[in-house]
Amino acid sequence: MRRHPVVALIVLGLVLAVAWPAVAQDKPRSGGELVFVVPSEPPSYDAHQEETFGLIHPTAPHYNTLLRVDPFDKTGTKPVGDLAESWTISKDGLTYTFKIRKGVKFHDGSEMTSKDIKASYDRIINPPAGIKSLRKDMYDAVKSVEAPDPTTIVFKLKWPETSLLLALASPWNWIYKADILAKDQHWYETHVMGTGPFKFVEHVKGSHWVGKKNPDYWDKGKPYLDGYRAIFISNSAAQVAAVRGERAMIQFRSFSPPERDQLVQALGNKITVQESPWDCLNFVTLHHEKKPFDDKRVRRAMSLALDRYAGSAALSKITLVKDVGGIQVPGTPYATPPAELEKLAGYGHDIAKNRAEAKRLLKEAGVPDGFSFTFRNRGIPHPYEPLGIWLIDQWRQIGLNVKQEIVEASAYHPMLKRGDFEVAMDFQCGFIVEPDLDLARFVSTSDANYGKHKDKVIDDLYIQQSRATDMEERKKLVRQFEKRLLDDEAHVIYTLQWHRIVPHLSKVHGWTITPSHYLNNQLDTVWLSE
Amino acid sequence: MSKFLIKRLLLTLPTLFGVALVTFLLIRVIPGDVVELRYSGDRGAVSQEVLDQERHRIGLDQPVWRQFLTWIGGVVRLDFGTSMWTGAPITEEIKLRFALSLQVAIMATIVAVLLAIPLGVLAALKQDTWVDYAVRLFSIAGLAMPSFWLGIVFILFLLVVVKWLPPMVYTPLWVNPKENLAQLIWPALAVGYRYSAVATRMTRSAMLEVLREDYIRTARAKGLMQKLILSRHALKNAMLPVMTVVAIEFAFLIGGLVVTEQVFNLNGIGLLFVQAVAHRDYTLLQALVMLVASMFILANFVMDIAYAWLDPRIRYR
Amino acid sequence: MAISPPFDQVVIEPARRPALAVVWEFARRRPLGAIGAVIIVVMLAVATLASVIAPYDPLAIDFGGMLASPSSAHWLGTDSFGRDVLSRLIYGSRTALLVGFGASLVGAIVGAVLGVASAYFGGRIDLYLQRVMDIFLSFPLIILALALVAILGNSIPNLILAITVPMIPRCALVIRSSALSIREMPYVDAARAAGFRHRRIILRHMLPNVMAPFLIMVTAFVGQAILLESSLSFLGLGVQEPIPAWGLMLSGAAVEFAERAPWMAIFPGLAISLSVFAFNLFGDSLRDALDPRLRTQ
Repeated sequence: MRRHPVVALIVLGLVLAVAWPAVAQDKPRSGGELVFVVPSEPPSYDAHQEETFGLIHPTAPHYNTLLRVDPFDKTGTKPVGDLAESWTISKDGLTYTFKIRKGVKFHDGSEMTSKDIKASYDRIINPPAGIKSLRKDMYDAVKSVEAPDPTTIVFKLKWPETSLLLALASPWNWIYKADILAKDQHWYETHVMGTGPFKFVEHVKGSHWVGKKNPDYWDKGKPYLDGYRAIFISNSAAQVAAVRGERAMIQFRSFSPPERDQLVQALGNKITVQESPWDCLNFVTLHHEKKPFDDKRVRRAMSLALDRYAGSAALSKITLVKDVGGIQVPGTPYATPPAELEKLAGYGHDIAKNRAEAKRLLKEAGVPDGFSFTFRNRGIPHPYEPLGIWLIDQWRQIGLNVKQEIVEASAYHPMLKRGDFEVAMDFQCGFIVEPDLDLARFVSTSDANYGKHKDKVIDDLYIQQSRATDMEERKKLVRQFEKRLLDDEAHVIYTLQWHRIVPHLSKVHGWTITPSHYLNNQLDTVWLSE
Repeated sequence: MSKFLIKRLLLTLPTLFGVALVTFLLIRVIPGDVVELRYSGDRGAVSQEVLDQERHRIGLDQPVWRQFLTWIGGVVRLDFGTSMWTGAPITEEIKLRFALSLQVAIMATIVAVLLAIPLGVLAALKQDTWVDYAVRLFSIAGLAMPSFWLGIVFILFLLVVVKWLPPMVYTPLWVNPKENLAQLIWPALAVGYRYSAVATRMTRSAMLEVLREDYIRTARAKGLMQKLILSRHALKNAMLPVMTVVAIEFAFLIGGLVVTEQVFNLNGIGLLFVQAVAHRDYTLLQALVMLVASMFILANFVMDIAYAWLDPRIRYR
Repeated sequence: MAISPPFDQVVIEPARRPALAVVWEFARRRPLGAIGAVIIVVMLAVATLASVIAPYDPLAIDFGGMLASPSSAHWLGTDSFGRDVLSRLIYGSRTALLVGFGASLVGAIVGAVLGVASAYFGGRIDLYLQRVMDIFLSFPLIILALALVAILGNSIPNLILAITVPMIPRCALVIRSSALSIREMPYVDAARAAGFRHRRIILRHMLPNVMAPFLIMVTAFVGQAILLESSLSFLGLGVQEPIPAWGLMLSGAAVEFAERAPWMAIFPGLAISLSVFAFNLFGDSLRDALDPRLRTQ
């Protein structure tokens, strides 16, 4: 997805064309305070060093990023400029040059220049001692970041990397002020000072976070809101009650289907529901060093046992899953179309045939009567718990006797890391749908390869797809990766794609759901109709 | 008296120290630590080196005995350090939440006492009649419901029947009393009702006991009016054990409303405690347990003093 | 620290009357306690006969029959996995009683042993044991249980243990105070003077005489343990799916479906309340019956 300026312009035009009718009919109204629920809380205020949406939701409106994902794009995969006005990519794909907007001011009144962007990216790519840059690995291809003049920033790469533009649209890469970073790299852990559409007012720990309109925002006319108030509510029943009692207007992460139904029933047309496949997914990790899971016939049989389509119909009524998907979120550019997906083992519609094949494979593997094992699941109600119940039921139907053991949520990752399991529920969640981001953990050398598979083919395919410059070529490689991972070797078993459900009061406008709860939270486009 | 006070106060120190030690060791046995939780999520992108650096920074790489000495040294100077999860000073984390928990505990205790004493006295005066049975059924029923369930029923009732929801964000009493009470009265009612059960039973049995003492029996013979008058005297004598129960429950309410705080979204000590366990925030957990335990020890201390004050014989035991 | 009324004058009189007469006397004089006892007996029967009386397999999933309202096929409806609520309730009584009795029996026994030992030996042993008990008493019940579950994990035996530990000091305290008064009784002195071993004195003379407070503690704790387990379930740390357990049935999906499928919440809620209610009623009456000071003559 290399974008030349012309392409970018065309894309921009398309976006405008799509967005135009909506804008024409509903002229945004200024004023009002958006009140939203955040189910988690920010540990520190420094997004470069955190990975919880609990920080993004209340704090992102104070900042800008170099690029961002188009706030009106439902797939959440179109990069558009945020602080960057335009960009060019050299023919060899090794130099990205961005033009920076003029007249952008920090909340302290000082001018934002390319120096600030360079300082922020240097901190992310080459963190100084004591700074924990959590997504540093995404920029391995970057050789240098240069700021030749105040309105130009240049990224030089070691090798061409298709995903760079999206990596630069990361919602985590807030642009901080260079002078502050030069004095104290830890300042942003406890302070807020950006260029974003809203200024920081207060954070009362455990209670709420308040922002007010930035009157000097560079994007004239925006933001529409006078301010916002994020209230922290950890219990999900209390979150639903807050929206239902109209003490809050929206919760940007997701509600469960019964919670949605409850809100719709109680509030009728006062509530609008937006839904999207979610770039998060639970898959089953099988420990490749423990018998019989070292045998790929066994692993494939376990995937074939799952009636994914019937499971989807039933589970989507009670928990946060829905689509039957492959390694990319359905509906996004690199996703395998359903007709082709069906050819993978365990994705066909004829469940009787699948299960017969599963039993044949078990027989071949020397375990015709099935076997017993312990399935470790994580102590989280949605969707882990229902998925676990479903999986056990499905495996039982090919003669596997499964005992479930639930591990407390916080003790789960250490358990996976120790390799202390036979079969375990694992979890994958991205902030932008992009093969590079979603597939990195399946490479044999990844620290998150908890099942300890070794597969040279997978590793090579990963690098090839990452460096493929032609989109069709890359698609083909991603498909091969998918078939290898889920079918031929069945290193892991994918369950169902998570499904994001955001019901909000109908008076909230200008916000579009995307496949990621990390995206689209700057709130500059959001407005209230009363 | 002052000698007794000092002796009694000194006795609390070993208990507090023991609580500190037990807490410190107990939470370090919980699998997983804060660094692992925070930085090695599902992407697993942070190198072991960075993790080690971070452990070193917050002192988790030191031997446990040294960590304990450092911490207890701070506690003696009332310095509880910073939260391992947020990096903010512990006192800042706890301050507001403590105010909220304290207020809910006070309000719930008032509700409990207002229910327990009249009901308990009534049950004792009418022992083994249907009044007695009704009172006991009412108070035991409160104890029989899981607290979260009682809370959820409260909220559903308000939402569905009254079509109104209490405020979800805490406003301190001195900022806006109306908003504050509108939020806190519901959990106070739910918790107060539950906690009135034990106090009701205590009041009833203490009353029964006092009522059986000779001078009251004599008075009883003289007629109902006197019976009532004397029962006031009886009540006074019966109050001490009831007060003890109330004081101790009050102390537990401050940190023990783990479940109720979730249901009503109260930003209190109990909720903070659950989060601290989930985050493996050792420093915060230690401070919270010390706080809750001190409240309990303090309540006991105050009651002992009250006993000693009312009954001088105890001082010389 | 008088958490519960002292039992210092409790001495069980040897039962000379036939057992049936005693039971009848109890039922006549304490109707509330009798009601509690009847409910407990019914619960025990249901738990024992679960496999016979449950109409369905409590684990059997039927996605076709999700969230069915009560009918002749499913008397109490089905849950979000199409599992029969009645069958899960019936099997859940096993879990409830296991956790309830398990925790309270173990807690009361360990507590009684510590309490009696503390009272009997006195001196340093008493002092140290009391200090340790004080430490554990300073933690709210739920907080200690929460920490223990986090350490041990949440299988049923571990849950029982996590609920037991905070109960031990509470029981030890009460038993100690009644054991103290027995220790001063002339016959214990006499037994000592006669040179009997500690073990014999404790087993023969002290233990039988603390039976009354012991029984009261056991019944009082069963209800508490059942409630504590359901609170832990609400926090996601209790019994885990797919094991049928009342607290779990009440706390998870039931809350989300509270209005659409109220039977998912109402029946386990009733089961918990009724059983805790029964144990409290019975315990209360037992306390009155066994504490001679409160007898109305």
